[in-house]
Amino acid sequence: MNHTRTITTFIVDEFLPDVPAESLAADYDLLSGGVIDSLGLLKVIAWLEDRFDVVVDDIEIEPDNFRTVAAMNAFVQSASRAA
Amino acid sequence: MNVRHFPDTPALVWRGEPVSYRELNDRALRARTQLVTSDIGAAPIGLRCSKSPDSIALVLACLMDQRSFLLPSPTLPEHTLQELFLRAGCAGVLSAPDPSSGRYSWAVLPSTDRTRRDRGVADRARSFSPDPEAVTFMLTTSGSTGLPKIVPLSEGAVDRFTDWAGTQFELRPGRSVLNFSPLNFDLCLLDIWATLKHGGCVVLVEPTRATSSEYLRDLLIRHDVELVQAVPMFYQLLTQGNRDNTTEFGGVRHVVITGDSIAPRCLAQIPGLFPHARLYNLYGCTETNDSLLYEIDPTDLPTGALPLGDPLPGVRALLVDEDGATRNGPGTGELYVSTPFQTLDYLDFSHHESRFVAHPGGVDELRYFRTGDLVRRHEDGSLTLEGRTDFQVKVRGVRTNIENVEQVLRTHPDISEVAVVAVPDLVAGHLLHAEARRVPGSALNSLPLRQFCADHLPLTAIPSTFHIADNPLPRTSTGKLDRRMVAHLHTREG
Repeated sequence: MNHTRTITTFIVDEFLPDVPAESLAADYDLLSGGVIDSLGLLKVIAWLEDRFDVVVDDIEIEPDNFRTVAAMNAFVQSASRAA
Repeated sequence: MNVRHFPDTPALVWRGEPVSYRELNDRALRARTQLVTSDIGAAPIGLRCSKSPDSIALVLACLMDQRSFLLPSPTLPEHTLQELFLRAGCAGVLSAPDPSSGRYSWAVLPSTDRTRRDRGVADRARSFSPDPEAVTFMLTTSGSTGLPKIVPLSEGAVDRFTDWAGTQFELRPGRSVLNFSPLNFDLCLLDIWATLKHGGCVVLVEPTRATSSEYLRDLLIRHDVELVQAVPMFYQLLTQGNRDNTTEFGGVRHVVITGDSIAPRCLAQIPGLFPHARLYNLYGCTETNDSLLYEIDPTDLPTGALPLGDPLPGVRALLVDEDGATRNGPGTGELYVSTPFQTLDYLDFSHHESRFVAHPGGVDELRYFRTGDLVRRHEDGSLTLEGRTDFQVKVRGVRTNIENVEQVLRTHPDISEVAVVAVPDLVAGHLLHAEARRVPGSALNSLPLRQFCADHLPLTAIPSTFHIADNPLPRTSTGKLDRRMVAHLHTREG
């Protein structure tokens, strides 16, 4: 399952409410682009866990797993497969 | 010294694994070899590293070499880092080793800007010529404007501080100390550098996991931490992870709250979380290091703001009123402090207004630092923080000047007006909100504006929320930006 659209909608609603969802590219770097900081990252992880029923280990809280919508999607897909 | 006496005791804990004094020393010697073979004479160097045992070894290598080194936040925008390294007169920049090759990476700074580098060195030589003590650490202020200020600390200043910390918090071999803050923060002088000097063990919090309360709880318990020093956000995270009031960190003996005012609701939970600990409120600035200490009575918690307490040994503190006179009785004034741990001045003082002044009444020969903190002295003589004399707030414990954030946003070509306000936040202390008016015809939205901020500001100074519109911003009757109204409208909508 590709969750890119769902994740994009969440990111835009939560952090970029004035930005049209289609203008956020899946490979846009949300961390170095100043969209998500470390507290924002926790919010994203909590939502991913809840929405996709995956468990994010402390070990996996590597920023690179959550740098872009595409990375989040890949993470959710691999976490779902593992489960 | 510690490597000779206790080579096999742990100096650090990183990602669950101990790093012994012997191993840390070996890594520091390797890094020092790199320095010695670089042929840079006695020039200062820059360190570019986030927290890790190798980064700590880099700092130790500089200390062994009695070499001054700039330790900026690695999260600063690239051009800001380069400018800082040049201003500090760094001959090159050393980075933590690449995990695959294990080699420290050394980058010589471009020599095209010789004049500026020479000026940096000349400034440094001039500013320290009266003092024989060599500069070791060069820290930076949080600098929410374009360029953070460089704060050079002499070996003596660091020694005096780490000696005080060792005595005050009983640092010694076998003691585990939590290090919560990033490596470039002044707080590390206590929790990392004083701990290592006295042979203790530093339990390092990984920066990328620092906001996970479960992770923090696990570190405290698993590694028998006895001293904790952290900004209120840390305690807020712990209390949030303790909704059922079942957690206890019984092994912790000293709990130090520092960097910001703590919310009374959070403070109320601390004695329960740390039932066997002495609790303190510790006040300090990067420029002066710690200055005032208050021991909190866990059975009789203050209801209002925490008192700042008494000056540390050798520290003088004054309140100075609006007319520039020292205030000796009750009332408010700007806090001035002079400490045995302070910097002599900003390194590049030609670029900054000095905040070091003589005693306003001329009663001593000390140099006092104007903290910019507005402080009240109560009838009983106790001191509490009232606010700032300028536009500074603490965001996640980092001093941030909202006026400077506005200045940066105002340079965006599509913005005609902007107001930044600080909104109180339970976890972060304050969060910033930016209200901006774009120029007619512009379709600017927060996505490129956030990128613009990320390119020009430290991470903590990027506003959490933006509202971009075409309407004029509210102004007072005298035409000034009405930040109070902006904050009011924002909280009503939020």
